[in-house]
Amino acid sequence: MMELEQLSARALAQAIRGKKVSSLEATRAALGRLAAAHERTNCTLSLEAEEALAAAAACDAAIAAGKPIGPLAGVPLAHKDMFDRRGKIASWGARIRAEKPATQDATVIARYKAAGALQIAALHLTEFAFGPTGHNYVLGHARNPWDPTRITGGSSAGTAAAVAYGAIPAGLGSDTGGSLRLPAAACGVASIKPTWGRVSRAGAMPLAPALDTIGVIARHVEDLALMLGLLAGADPRDPAATTLPVPDYLAHLDQPIRGLRLGIDAGVIGSAHPQVQGMLQQVTKILEGQGLVTAACRFPDWQTLDHLVQLTQMPDCSAVHAAYLRSRPNDYGPQVRARLELGHFIGAVDHLTALRARGSYLRRTLEDTFKDIDIAVLPILADPLPTIAELDIGGGPTLQAAMARVVKYTRPINYLGLPTLALPVPRAGGLPNGIQLVGRPFAEAQLLAVGQAYQREVPPEVARPLA
Amino acid sequence: MAEQPIPQREAAEAGPAPALDMPPERRRAAMAHAALLSQTAARVATELPLSADVDDFRRILAAEARP
Repeated sequence: MMELEQLSARALAQAIRGKKVSSLEATRAALGRLAAAHERTNCTLSLEAEEALAAAAACDAAIAAGKPIGPLAGVPLAHKDMFDRRGKIASWGARIRAEKPATQDATVIARYKAAGALQIAALHLTEFAFGPTGHNYVLGHARNPWDPTRITGGSSAGTAAAVAYGAIPAGLGSDTGGSLRLPAAACGVASIKPTWGRVSRAGAMPLAPALDTIGVIARHVEDLALMLGLLAGADPRDPAATTLPVPDYLAHLDQPIRGLRLGIDAGVIGSAHPQVQGMLQQVTKILEGQGLVTAACRFPDWQTLDHLVQLTQMPDCSAVHAAYLRSRPNDYGPQVRARLELGHFIGAVDHLTALRARGSYLRRTLEDTFKDIDIAVLPILADPLPTIAELDIGGGPTLQAAMARVVKYTRPINYLGLPTLALPVPRAGGLPNGIQLVGRPFAEAQLLAVGQAYQREVPPEVARPLA
Repeated sequence: MAEQPIPQREAAEAGPAPALDMPPERRRAAMAHAALLSQTAARVATELPLSADVDDFRRILAAEARP
């Protein structure tokens, strides 16, 4: 019997196509593992077993009949519950939801369906995807599959937990201030946050449209390449989705990386916990072993970037929620409510200043920070993995400072719109954590090639409870 | 809770977002945080040319694409 939980989506698709395993077997096994993962992590909001098994049986029949099938045919996936699906109402991780079922699939859901993938569940997220830790005061907190007292990271908490546990090989998430990278780091898996505009957001729940980015969480970098390739590209339903051509990310996975320059900003990294700095040095050594050359680099003032991204994000979020925050304030959890209120206190001139300055800061980053480097490496979490209790602060007075520490290394990158690849650090028996590689605009193929080389040294792991 | 209209003068005295049902300490914290961010915005504004545009970001991303 194949170790289905260990397989990448790509390998599983090949096995299904080659009739080594049926989609029905793979889907039954995934449903069983997801139930176990849920018990441990609270990762699932709705299990869709009946529909998934029917779709799997249809896929097996199509293969048996020799019909043409897509690259993910019969592969069981599950996604953050924030995407429109025809005939369903997404939970958005919240009490407030759409009043009517969606009439059309979100573009990303439609593209995976067209590739033949199955969706077996809708997965946990922080309320309205607005929170970096996996706490959800409305639907319950997510728990880490390695250690249930620890955070999963958020907001794509359920996807990261389910992927880490081996329930599914990959799934969708979104990232407005770190929501693909933080859960990947906390759960010990990989993720790709593409360049802003690379993937359509049509039919995805908006959080802060100026920053929102859809991406993928997976254990295997090859799955990030496969699945980003299926998602990316122009979409008339989302004018921000770029018409730039989509590279064949899978074909680029083995492109030469020797000689690529890896930038390290010692000033920015210096305020991370010493253990996190140690992890970063360890990863840097591994990448040097793969032929990358390290060099110093310097980002624009990090605190300024952090303030500019807040000036961009907070009014954007508050505007999306303005009507509900006035009419149904008690239907919000305390943390999201307090954060949504903040945007109302930021003036229009300050918000627009941040938006007007965004191009200038991006240009400065590309001309100065990336002048002599190809990729920058940064931590994701500033600290070793916190416990759920440590960050169980609701909407209290320590909220802004605590959240700022969690997203310290992630949200400024959203302001710059640059692509990032999150990779787990070697655990050596301990708790998971991760680093992010930051690339130039639309350089996802280069990041993925580096990630593929990294996973030859640090192979993907399936999460199991630590002793 | 249904939104109640607030007289203009009362609203002006209440400060930003008078329609939001917030306890005073959270209101003070939000104002203080917004004031901190505003200082950064004021400084950044002095560095920006008049021609800086919100669409610059998207133009530069596309122009600098390295697929």
